[in-house]
Amino acid sequence: MLRGGIIGFGRMGITHFAILNSRPDVEITAICDTHSFVRRNIARHLHVTAYSDHEKMLRDADLDFVVVATPTAMHKAAACCALERGLHAFVEKPLTLNPDDSHELLAMVGRSACVNQVGYVLRFSDVFMQVKRLLDARAIGDLVSYKMEMRGPTVLGDTRGSWRSQGDAGGGCLYDFASHAVDLVNYLVGVPERVVGAVLRPVYSRQVEDALCATFLYAGNLWGNLMVNWSDPSCRKPSYRFEALGRNGKIIADLHAYRAFFRGPPDIDGLTEGWNQRHITDFAAPIRFYLRGFEYTRQLDYFIDCIEGRASPGVSSFATAAETDTVIARIRASAAQEKRSERWIA
Amino acid sequence: MDRVIFGDNQFFGINHMSEDKAQTLAERFKDVRAILGVLDAAYDCGIHAFMLNTHDKAREICGHLRANPQRYADLRLYPSLPYAYKYANAVNEKGIVEALNDFLFAGRTAGEAFATLIRGGRTIINRDLIDVMKLLVDAEMRVFRGLNVRAVFLQNIVSDLLLGMGARDLLKAFADHIVASYGVDPGFNTMNMPQMVKCLQDCGIENPLVCSSINKAGYFMSPGVKEYEETLRTRHFRAMAMSVLASGAIEPREAIAYVCRLPNIQSVVFGASSRTHIEEIQRLILAHWPAAEPSCAPVVEVKHAAAGCADLNAVTQTT
Repeated sequence: MLRGGIIGFGRMGITHFAILNSRPDVEITAICDTHSFVRRNIARHLHVTAYSDHEKMLRDADLDFVVVATPTAMHKAAACCALERGLHAFVEKPLTLNPDDSHELLAMVGRSACVNQVGYVLRFSDVFMQVKRLLDARAIGDLVSYKMEMRGPTVLGDTRGSWRSQGDAGGGCLYDFASHAVDLVNYLVGVPERVVGAVLRPVYSRQVEDALCATFLYAGNLWGNLMVNWSDPSCRKPSYRFEALGRNGKIIADLHAYRAFFRGPPDIDGLTEGWNQRHITDFAAPIRFYLRGFEYTRQLDYFIDCIEGRASPGVSSFATAAETDTVIARIRASAAQEKRSERWIA
Repeated sequence: MDRVIFGDNQFFGINHMSEDKAQTLAERFKDVRAILGVLDAAYDCGIHAFMLNTHDKAREICGHLRANPQRYADLRLYPSLPYAYKYANAVNEKGIVEALNDFLFAGRTAGEAFATLIRGGRTIINRDLIDVMKLLVDAEMRVFRGLNVRAVFLQNIVSDLLLGMGARDLLKAFADHIVASYGVDPGFNTMNMPQMVKCLQDCGIENPLVCSSINKAGYFMSPGVKEYEETLRTRHFRAMAMSVLASGAIEPREAIAYVCRLPNIQSVVFGASSRTHIEEIQRLILAHWPAAEPSCAPVVEVKHAAAGCADLNAVTQTT
């Protein structure tokens, strides 16, 4: 039986708790949160010891692993504490707010045998796993260009009551929302060498951006566009659209389906020349427990399987997440440069 | 229990198989008159039972149903709550406490707000989660005032969360509150039916009413088809089947034949966007279930549940 603790009992902490707790081989014995309302109800209804201080929790509770689901600014301190004690760590995305901090954590895990994972859940999405297979098999040939769009109705008004409106807490569309799209690009295509033409803009927020765009450049003339907006009232929930053009075809994917065009027979998954369409119902593998999406359970089961030696780690590790943090920092740098240019033009 | 219940996911741009289909639906049903047109078609086909989520459009739909009591004289509603996205988005914007306060007081008269304050305390911070849950259920149920409600369902996003967390007292508290305050059956939507049925029975909820995806493709059926079929065979509960067409992944004739062959299915909940489609599904169900009575063993009603339908006007005035 693995014993786990959760630091931060907001929306993601609660989701992770429910999914992990539903496993017969895992027991969540400690939860840490700063709100007394949350702590009181954890103790009363979940019969789990509630802490207000994560250091005390890690010291007193005899844990094998920890899930860090606090606002992003607190990830590093909590993860450091866990790694120092030799605990396996699952940290919500993004890993930290700057690549130097992420690389410090990476150095720590390099010196230990701890399993480390970051909650880039789209790496466990049925459709995007299929798209990754097709790209890796070069089913559409050498890539020419791609675009990644992500939209959602997350912020449709003034957000002063939430940490999402505070950039130094990890709020803002880039860290809190677009990091998923950046990581998905890294996963599907690879880490861009350069980021140019980035623009960060507020829509409703006062201190952080609500929308952004950027161009990613790679060796060999490959380029990609990123467009993200979390203030789009036309969406019911966050949605993704990835479109990749290769010399031998095209793939257009979202969370539920993909369409693919091939110039010739691609010789994979029964796909044929011309247009093909596959829905999630065609290939979704059953999972033991469903909450919010297949990918949420799949990512945590993978984490546990890695701890118990049934799977090889690396799908969404601190190392891949540090690469994502690096791209995020490059987007910020490019946006700052664009802003200086705007001032110069004005 | 109604054997055929008309669902409403299609009206809110929900399609689990295709975002393109979902977008088409969202455009088609942006006007509530388009929704009412399809509901009327279902009603005129003899389907008088509707499952309604507490989406923003539910207010307008219920207003229309209330304003035309003769047109919908035989109407039976199965509300399903909460519509989680509105909570998630509000919590993103305002933080949890302010968002909850907004939901508890939105649209209330001064007198109602005063009563809620007395019952809920000046802020939810000092309250127990069960009290907060009851206040939220009552806030969601206001939209159904004066309409015939047969059962109130807890949406799977919440019920499966509570199931995973092992928060049995909260599941039981929901069930008790629905029975005590509305005099109807509590129901539970789930994507994890075998675990949910066992958990509810372990909670002491007898013969629970459980609505889950049941389809030949095994879509949204965790942990798997085999466990679902075994639970249907061996557990004493009232099963309602939704997503029988797996969002269009299964051909209707095959889909209905599969679900109607299974034991212990009390009702089929299906959504459709046109009269032709409604008639087709209904015809297929009736072909497999010619008798009006359920195909399973006699059903024992949940203890304390009021016979027939509840008039929520009367109920809410006393709460």
